[in-house]
Amino acid sequence: MLNDITLGQYYPGNSFLHKLDPRTKILATFFFMAAVFIAESALSYGILLAFVFIVAFMAKLPWKMLLKSIKPLWVIIILTLGIHIFTGQGEPLWQWKMFTVTREGIVLGVKMSLRLILLLLISSLLTFTTSPIVLTDGIESLLTPFKKIGVPAHELAMMMTIALRFIPTLLEETDRIMKAQSARGADFSSGNLIQRAKNMLPILIPLFISSFRRADELAMAMEARCYRGGKGRTRMHQLVYGSRDGVAACGMAVLILVLCILKWGGTLWAI
Amino acid sequence: MDSIISVQNLTHTYTDGQNNSVKALDGINLSIAPGEFVAIIGTNGSGKSTLARHFNALLTPTEGICLVNGLDTSKEENMWQVRQTVGMVFQNPDNQIVAAIVEEDVAFGLENIGVPSEQIRPRVEAALAAVNMSAYAQQAPHRLSGGQKQRIAIAGVMALEPKCIVFDEPTAMLDPKGRKEIVSTVVKLNKEKHITIVYITHKMEEAILADRIVAMEKGKIVMMGTPAEVFSQVELMNKLGLEAPLAAEVAFHLNKAGHKLPANIITHKELCKALCPSM
Ligand SMILES: Nc1ncnc2c1ncn2[C@@H]1O[C@H](COP(=O)(O)OP(=O)(O)O)[C@@H](O)[C@H]1O
Ligand SMILES: [Mg+2]
Repeated sequence: MLNDITLGQYYPGNSFLHKLDPRTKILATFFFMAAVFIAESALSYGILLAFVFIVAFMAKLPWKMLLKSIKPLWVIIILTLGIHIFTGQGEPLWQWKMFTVTREGIVLGVKMSLRLILLLLISSLLTFTTSPIVLTDGIESLLTPFKKIGVPAHELAMMMTIALRFIPTLLEETDRIMKAQSARGADFSSGNLIQRAKNMLPILIPLFISSFRRADELAMAMEARCYRGGKGRTRMHQLVYGSRDGVAACGMAVLILVLCILKWGGTLWAI
Repeated sequence: MDSIISVQNLTHTYTDGQNNSVKALDGINLSIAPGEFVAIIGTNGSGKSTLARHFNALLTPTEGICLVNGLDTSKEENMWQVRQTVGMVFQNPDNQIVAAIVEEDVAFGLENIGVPSEQIRPRVEAALAAVNMSAYAQQAPHRLSGGQKQRIAIAGVMALEPKCIVFDEPTAMLDPKGRKEIVSTVVKLNKEKHITIVYITHKMEEAILADRIVAMEKGKIVMMGTPAEVFSQVELMNKLGLEAPLAAEVAFHLNKAGHKLPANIITHKELCKALCPSM
């Protein structure tokens, strides 16, 4: 029952990471991202990489999954590396026609691509260890304080919930419509790009029409069950921070502190 | 004021974008007693759904009044009380399930009315047990069969502990197995939990289970009575575009051909007994 699209990238498990409150994980992810931009020295990058691998190890995730999470952006990573290597300023190490490779360029290129990799890894760790449903709860809870300044926290969460609920239904429906149109002689697999895009219309139009009908009926069913927006609403699952979350927060604080010391520690000493 | 639902002289007119108006209900008078099982039959467009939607304030009367437990549904301040008293189950099981996990969907109504968190879980469990779906609490709804989805929808309504549930063609999109599941669930809720049932259907073998049948035509109530009273009027039923149950039809034609069968035969059993008393 677990391997399906509503689970997104979720890799079910029972680890420390899986059991953390989603809010802790979301906040920690943001702090880690900030940390990535603090890091400058080779040592701090080493620490960040080590941190990611320790966390992945704790989550008992297969290493292959981590590699896969980098895959979608590998072209951009290589490109970043290349551009920095060949356009860096400084003392040329090696020269061929108009291409100059500098030491500074190599260092900057490696840093930039490492940053990308770290950002990818940490956000994947969040989605690997948190199901989209729980993530939605976490986002709603984190955004609730910002309701006062007009952030529609409940509405966003409700939209995500309904999307998660209906994506599989709509996929099934798309499949059904495609089969029905194929039976009527529609052809989805030949012709050039424009031709193919045009051929998708007989799928999209019925899909849109049925989605609007669904939306209409769902709205009525929700009203019939006393839905009236986020006001005065309670939740069955209440998120509660546990001691685990305290431990995770301390870990994160230590990481940030170490990186800050590595960056600004020298100047502190100098004073 | 003994009835749970009471409509007096109810008229409803839809107005569409081009200002065309359709009189979907025309002077309906009906009252439903607590614990009663009422089936509403009628051809498409006869106004059954429109009437049903008045019972939980999804629609309000253009003229006349609709009282639920004595509360006027047209008053804004009564709306939430009315919707808690009368729940509604719709035709398409897919389009009434909100959450991606069964138990969260059942909890949806309770969360909406602000039930404290610690009281939600027991009520969700009780509602799932009432429809025999406890084992599926953690499932994703799209993995369930039509009948199971429809039972989840019923559980979602049951969690609110309504006095009455309105079913708008709940079996129209189900296979025979799913249909049986729903019918037996409905009967069980009526008999064991004493929930008032308003059941809209095209299937006469389902309507026959009701205490009372209301037949509609062009926004008006044209027949009302026990299944025996309504279904034995085969000619009138056919004129309304409805098919009487097979047994009633057979008995009617036999009587027309000169046989003397007892009146009010509507089930196969009754027909058998009348044809071969020795059986
Ligand atoms: N939202 C609407 N707008 C305009 N006319 C409607 C609307 N809903 C229903 N009607 C019309 O009201 C009449 C009764 O419809 P309905 O109550 O859905 O009948 P039933 O459920 O018995 O099939 C029909 O003629 C239908 O066309
Ligand atoms: Mg209808």
